[in-house]
Amino acid sequence: MNGSPLGTSVPRKEDRRLVTGRGRFVGDLQLPRMRHVAFVRSPVAHARIVSLDAGPAREAGYRVFTQADLGGIVLRAQSALPSYVETGQPALAEGKVRFAGEPVAAVVAADRYRAEDGAELVDVDYATLPPVTVAWDAGAAAVHDEAPDNVLLERTFDAGDVDGVLAGAHLTVERELVTNRHAGNPMECRAGVALFDPADRRLTFWSGTQVPHLVRNMIAELLGLSEGNVRVVAPDVGGGFGVKAVLYPEDVALCAIALQLPGTPVKWVEDRVEHLAAATHARDHRYLLTAGFAADGTLLALRADVTCNVGAYSVYPWTAGIEPLMAGGLLTGPYKLEHYRATVRGVATNTAPSGPYRGVARPASVFAMETLLDDAAARLGMTGVDIRRRNVIRPEDIPYRMPSRLVDDSGHYDECLTKALDAVGYDELRAEQQRRRGTGESPIGIGFACYNELTGLGRAASAGPRMPFRTGHDACTVRVNPDGRVTVFSGVTSQGQGLETTVAQIVADALGVRYDDVDVRIGDTDASLWGFGAFSSRQAVIGGGAAHRSALAARSKVLRLAAGLLEVDPADLQIEDGVVAVVGSPDTTIGLPEVARVAYLESNRLPDGIEPGLEATEFYDPVRGAFAAGAQVAAVEVDRTTGAVRILRYACVEDAGRAMHPQIVDGQIAGSIAQGIGGALYEHLVYDADGNLSTGTLLDYLMPTSAEIPELTIGHVARPAANPLGVRGVGEGGTLGPNAVLAGAVSDALGVRIDELPLSPSVVWTAARRAAEDAGKTPVEPGGRHSD
Amino acid sequence: MEITMVVDGERVELTVEPRHTLADVLREQCGRTGTHVGCEHGVCGACTVLVDDEPVRSCLMFAVQADGSTVRTVEGLESDDGTLHPLQEAFVAHHGLQCGFCTPGMLMTALHLLDTHPEPDRETIRREMSGNICRCTGYMGIVDAVEEAARLR
Repeated sequence: MNGSPLGTSVPRKEDRRLVTGRGRFVGDLQLPRMRHVAFVRSPVAHARIVSLDAGPAREAGYRVFTQADLGGIVLRAQSALPSYVETGQPALAEGKVRFAGEPVAAVVAADRYRAEDGAELVDVDYATLPPVTVAWDAGAAAVHDEAPDNVLLERTFDAGDVDGVLAGAHLTVERELVTNRHAGNPMECRAGVALFDPADRRLTFWSGTQVPHLVRNMIAELLGLSEGNVRVVAPDVGGGFGVKAVLYPEDVALCAIALQLPGTPVKWVEDRVEHLAAATHARDHRYLLTAGFAADGTLLALRADVTCNVGAYSVYPWTAGIEPLMAGGLLTGPYKLEHYRATVRGVATNTAPSGPYRGVARPASVFAMETLLDDAAARLGMTGVDIRRRNVIRPEDIPYRMPSRLVDDSGHYDECLTKALDAVGYDELRAEQQRRRGTGESPIGIGFACYNELTGLGRAASAGPRMPFRTGHDACTVRVNPDGRVTVFSGVTSQGQGLETTVAQIVADALGVRYDDVDVRIGDTDASLWGFGAFSSRQAVIGGGAAHRSALAARSKVLRLAAGLLEVDPADLQIEDGVVAVVGSPDTTIGLPEVARVAYLESNRLPDGIEPGLEATEFYDPVRGAFAAGAQVAAVEVDRTTGAVRILRYACVEDAGRAMHPQIVDGQIAGSIAQGIGGALYEHLVYDADGNLSTGTLLDYLMPTSAEIPELTIGHVARPAANPLGVRGVGEGGTLGPNAVLAGAVSDALGVRIDELPLSPSVVWTAARRAAEDAGKTPVEPGGRHSD
Repeated sequence: MEITMVVDGERVELTVEPRHTLADVLREQCGRTGTHVGCEHGVCGACTVLVDDEPVRSCLMFAVQADGSTVRTVEGLESDDGTLHPLQEAFVAHHGLQCGFCTPGMLMTALHLLDTHPEPDRETIRREMSGNICRCTGYMGIVDAVEEAARLR
């Protein structure tokens, strides 16, 4: 390849193995003497465990482990926030169960079939307690004794004079909005294999995790092992989306079991029913909002009360604060605002724990904010486009300090919105909408969302609620091998984002070698020095920055060594495609293989003052974060008779900074929009009043397929960010828009208010019927025609 | 029970329990870990293989039901000389995969689609591939890939 591979869609390093069936997923691992684990899970939402009888299972020859057998290990997610109530999450429930699906015991057998046979023999007697499933139900029974009111965290963001400004506002809009619980639901469920070697007390844990170093750190602490003797390996991972950025009780139990079965690999591969019941959920929120506007549509003040259902446990390490704090910090999104007060809280219930899911809280908070703008626009006789243009942060406002004190460094929202409007053919759609209004045809509506995605958070903006660590940095090692080819040991992890490819591009570019000559090792704590992992759209910025810095450091040594060998000044040298040449004298060259050979094998030729070896390790921390601006616009058609919503056009334009691999960037955006569409229209984890998950299979929990996701138009406003590579994260932005866009479009089509999600046929039909009744018209009957 | 199958051109004789699914037997007894298990209740399509040229959910079929059958998995798509099948090439070229977990099932479903619909339009591809769930791509790259593979045939 000539020139830099950075910025071009080179073939992904990962693809060959993945399209030929040679992927290396945890579930594929087969080791000698391997045993399989099945968990006994609580069938009830809230109960005291009266007794647990493992006798019959043990008599039948199964190994059974309870919390007592594991030494009572408890995960504790910590935060220094003053209102945070710390609670524990046991590896296996003891004394009490707090959600249906919680692991209570583990059974080990020769294969999974037999392990499940054994699990059926474990007899647990439960005395049920009153369950709470809705976070805003007052007076519910306590999930944890430490928090009698179930509030695990509450914080108020306060700026300006909200009450005074609201009192004097030309228009105030009040709304109560409820968003639907759904989940990341990657195609590969969770999986782990743990093997303990007693000879040197080393534990190896293959895990489909997004955060191997964080897992190693806490597993070592909980099990009393030397951290260097715990190796966590995340090989190919089949999607994560935040769900796998949590250290789960099953992970801890599996490792603890391995310690008790030395030399025996123990394997647990979660099935989908377990996943839906017990992996983390998200987005179960209620927003009580009052916004004040001037007559020209300027947003003046916003008062918000946000309650997030955090489920039964405060997940490690993110705590129950992950969703409420994100909702409060970013509710105002890309809109300028001075007067803001938001009280946010995380409330425990007898449901599966909530955790990070792509977009963390913002798909809900963007829906809330955009709903307020649409409502105000309708009352003020403005268009949805004009009220957004009136209020968005603009390039001249940058850096803009949001009322939550976050600093926005991308002000290209209006430009994104304008491009997205062009992409859907906005004027033509409005004309078609008008035409249909005079006919009996299904109405169409147009919806909008502008959002800011906070990415690549450095230590000053670090992800998470004042946890006992700061996630601002990653490390990378670039090693030039004796043959002149390059191996990179990076702290990043990949669950489909193509990080092996991206890191190879960055290193090839910075070091001056061919992309094909760079191999990348990721997801192995024994190979890489440090990486926090995949979350908060951080790895292109931070892991990428570390790869860039370490490649530059390696390049510097290559040049010093080559300069000594060529007897020239290092400043006169350049490297391209692995050949070091003297600038202006192209015939004086030395290949990287020769330089590397000297570095490792021919110390007799080493220039004075240069040590053997050709490797560099560097950290990178951007200190602050980089905002990625985005706007989405869609047109939908609504069937008044059935409430079905069909997407006609969908466009998204983002400022993703410099795109290192345009195809991967667009793939991230398309995939995240599809997830957002799933959450907006179909996906809903529904608990009944007893705390049973009633959408516990993929027959009930509807994921979008190629038949539902429309053709997507993706555009870019590429403004480089202020970091060495000029990049902004792109992992999450796409998920932020669809709730708001599709709810706004349905609202626009039918002239109704949408107060709850998802936009299921029943929600849409009910809203249409209510609007018709409010207007004093005949409700729509099946097969009938609306008479406006 | 004793069963015999031809898996990717190789005759295999196996002892299986009646309750063992074809997916588990392919993965654990035949070493065909390319076939993935995503839901074990027949919805996601990740475990799709061809049994006597028809796509089946190998998580819903017992291995004993495949006795005497010819089974094709993703691991038989590539030629012996390492040449990728046009569908595999197209998935790579069009970013039709990210994590790659659904990909084996997508490829096997697409293989059957191209056999039965030689010139599918995008609408047909979207409809026919809708039994396979992908959580990563938003399907655009997959539809693009199948469309191109059909064109190149």
